[in-house]
Amino acid sequence: MSHSQYPRPPKFLLRFFRWYCHPDYQEDIEGDLLERFEQRLNSEGVKKARWGFYKDVLRLLRPGIIRSWYPHQLYHYTMFENNLTIALRNLKKHRSYAAINMLGLTLGIASAILIFIFVKYHLSFDTFHTDTDRIYRITTELHLEDIDHTWGVPSPMAQAIRNDFTFAEEVAMVTHLSDKLITIPSGQDQEKFKESIAFAEPAFFNIFNFPLARGNQHTVLLEPNTAIVTERTAQKYFSEEDPMGKTIRLGNRIDFVITGILKDLPTNTDRPQEIYLPYANLREYSPGLDEEGWWYSTNRGRQCFVRLKSTFSSTEVNQSLLTIPEKYYTEEEAQIWNFTLQPLSDIHFNPDLGGYVEKKNLWALALIGLFLVITACVNFINLATAKALSRSKEIGVRKVLGGLRRQLFWQFIAETTLITMLALVVAIILAYIVLPYVNQLFDLPLSLQLFQDIQLLTFLSLLLLFAIFLSGAYPGLIMAGFKPVQALKGKLTQQHIGGFSLRRGLVITQFTISQLLIIGTIIIANQMRYAQQADMGFQQEAIVMLPRPEGGISAMDALHNQVSQLSGVKQATFCNAAPASGLNPTTAIRFDTRTEEESFLIYLRAGDHRYVPTFGLELIAGRNLQPSDTVREYLLNETAVKKLGVAVNQEVIGKNVTINGKVGIIVGVVKDFHNKSLHEAIDPIYITTLSSNYGSCAVKLNLADLSSTMAALENTWKEISPNQVYECDFLDEQIAQFYELDNLMLRLIQIFASIAIIIGCLGLYGLVLFMASQKVKEIGVRKVLGAGVGNILWLFGQECARLLIIAFGIAAPLGWWLMQNWLENFTYRIKIEPEIFALAMVTTFLVATLTAGYQSLKASLANPVDSLRNE
Amino acid sequence: MSKHHLGEFEEIVMLTVAILHGRAYGVAIIDEIESRLDRKVSIGSLQTVLRRLENKGYLDSEFGEATKQRGGKRKRYFTVTNFGKQALQEAKDQRLSLWNAIPTIAFNPPS
Repeated sequence: MSHSQYPRPPKFLLRFFRWYCHPDYQEDIEGDLLERFEQRLNSEGVKKARWGFYKDVLRLLRPGIIRSWYPHQLYHYTMFENNLTIALRNLKKHRSYAAINMLGLTLGIASAILIFIFVKYHLSFDTFHTDTDRIYRITTELHLEDIDHTWGVPSPMAQAIRNDFTFAEEVAMVTHLSDKLITIPSGQDQEKFKESIAFAEPAFFNIFNFPLARGNQHTVLLEPNTAIVTERTAQKYFSEEDPMGKTIRLGNRIDFVITGILKDLPTNTDRPQEIYLPYANLREYSPGLDEEGWWYSTNRGRQCFVRLKSTFSSTEVNQSLLTIPEKYYTEEEAQIWNFTLQPLSDIHFNPDLGGYVEKKNLWALALIGLFLVITACVNFINLATAKALSRSKEIGVRKVLGGLRRQLFWQFIAETTLITMLALVVAIILAYIVLPYVNQLFDLPLSLQLFQDIQLLTFLSLLLLFAIFLSGAYPGLIMAGFKPVQALKGKLTQQHIGGFSLRRGLVITQFTISQLLIIGTIIIANQMRYAQQADMGFQQEAIVMLPRPEGGISAMDALHNQVSQLSGVKQATFCNAAPASGLNPTTAIRFDTRTEEESFLIYLRAGDHRYVPTFGLELIAGRNLQPSDTVREYLLNETAVKKLGVAVNQEVIGKNVTINGKVGIIVGVVKDFHNKSLHEAIDPIYITTLSSNYGSCAVKLNLADLSSTMAALENTWKEISPNQVYECDFLDEQIAQFYELDNLMLRLIQIFASIAIIIGCLGLYGLVLFMASQKVKEIGVRKVLGAGVGNILWLFGQECARLLIIAFGIAAPLGWWLMQNWLENFTYRIKIEPEIFALAMVTTFLVATLTAGYQSLKASLANPVDSLRNE
Repeated sequence: MSKHHLGEFEEIVMLTVAILHGRAYGVAIIDEIESRLDRKVSIGSLQTVLRRLENKGYLDSEFGEATKQRGGKRKRYFTVTNFGKQALQEAKDQRLSLWNAIPTIAFNPPS
């Protein structure tokens, strides 16, 4: 009776049984199992027979039947010891291969570790609060021509939510202000500090987990004129003295008594303010920031946070928030205003709402890390398969002596493990050494705590496994699969070990990764250069921004008079912000005799009559503003004129316009200038003499003798404004900060591209080294038959060149597509020119030539007598 | 307590092995128990008992010839050792003495 025609019992169960069963019992019990299966098959059918087999196998799984594992462990241990010895011998014998592999893996793994902690750091932002999934920020959408998103809200938002809705467990307003003057009135020499502060409602601390080190959590910020500060700040202000009950003074006007000390804030929060003041004092400090019942303005510093009750979902709440515009705005305005929830977990990553870094950037970085590890593993596979041939005798003998495929496979994995573990240890040490520099370079607070960080440990274990199997499995399988007779007779050829095609594929992968990164680097660098050197439409060099001095218009006049007399100063102007700035207040505009307000918001640049000449703005119609301290005349930019729907700039001159409720005459039109980074389009802008808004003094300098001019500026300023903190920033540096994140990405990619290239070169070097040793005889014969050095070099060169070109064929379109996507982030951007690709190609080609060149040259210069003398 | 203690299932298995006399291998034992005692026996429970009895020295086993049935796997035939026979005898004697000690009146009450 042949079994093949009959249904067989499930194979995996049989295999499972064989695995667990005691080897002495295995044969007859298996026979019993099969017999029972056949019995059931005949009497009850296939299904029942299979089911019965399944039950039998499971029921056999008991102490009396299963194999005992103990003796096998002993056996494994000796094998393990043996594998280790062989592995160590192999490493010693092939030092250069081992070094290449180790170095590549070390670089790859160290980069992966650093990328991991970087990504983890960003993903951890504000995750330490309780019930983070129920914490939301209320954001404002303005449905104008485009939908305008802002994370600021109108003043009465929290009050309205408290009165009208039941969904909130806690609601709190908080207003962040940066660069505010704090003094210590009790201090001897009146120290002055510029700080980021926050006015917050008490509920803020019920929503966010910023615990107090001292003071009463329940009464915090309830009383006006109280303050809580972090331990660090307290230490800074009062050093060793007890800070509780001490007074700090804000803006030389309002005193606050410290009633609580916050524990120092974690670095991974987007609320870095270290001084909290009661919301009740906000109106006194700045009436414009807390206007009762005023629904018509938002401010990015003024935010509203809620923690929802667990019974409400965010979709429900978003639905109920729709009723706010209906209730507090006119029907028309309700079409424009809209409020939605933004989850806390979105705040760090949402670029539309002030998020620091987009998640896709983090994933891109993680992908680069993965690439680096893969490149290093590819080196390993390449060299190992290339080397496999030289080990064929060893493998043949092992097989003849009864070595199983499985055992040989694990032997090879053991060797890989050894190298990978060594690389891992070195990589960890390297990461520890490099981390402080990375932190310094990128201004990061990252820390590497290997043994406290379970996620990192898990990551490293997984990375280790990944690297071991990726690099060890394929060569292991190949070697374990050698036919012993062929191996011992020395009849194995390259074809038996995956041939060149696999290694070619791997080298192409490496070249592709390197070229992709090079293309990325070049394009990002070009775009950055373009952004930083682009004509912004105004002068940004040699302009220094000072704070406005204390003491009204007379102080400003005094400062201007004195500063203008300094020999190094060309010109000075008072303004709310430089032409390009992060400060972008907006307001509504009504033109001429039109009855309706325009459907776009217009951006304010408050500046005196010297604003246009100081910044070198170009007037293309009309004239400049007349000196004034109040709003009388307006300048518009081209975009504003275009948005008003007026075709000719000249036509708006002399027309009345109502902006922010104030009527004035348009006296001129300025040429468009960039008012934000090149990521964004130019906005409609008006310039007017609104002296109450001036916050800065921009001074145009003569760069000769800069240091004495700067010193003179500081002295002059301090004389006029002795109670304030003097600060000065160069405008071009401020503008460079727009591209902080872009520059960070650029530097990261530059570094990783270099590492990828180094790893790739190591692999190529190893491969050429191997090729040269394999082809010693061939080269000898060729030379004897008359080949010159050039021919031999070409032998090596053509192979490399072909691989490079194929890799380029993959990398170029992929790089073009990826970088085109990245460039879409910029409204003003470079074109991707063919030169960029040519440059990437030439770079890799040069690097490859340099790497492979030496070994190839050595091989081609060798005297054929030496290689052919012995057979 | 006697030094040979046999569990109830162990006793049944040994008796069945004795019944089959030279033809006692896994499946045959199961079939025999199932037909005589109307009792379901799994390979797992039978095999553990067989191995245990063999370890104790009550049973002995040897492989038969391989045949084309059973996927070519040999059968393991069990036989009862002398020591095993002693243990069975002892178990039977103990039962009998217990039976004999039952007063007649207990099972046959006077009517």
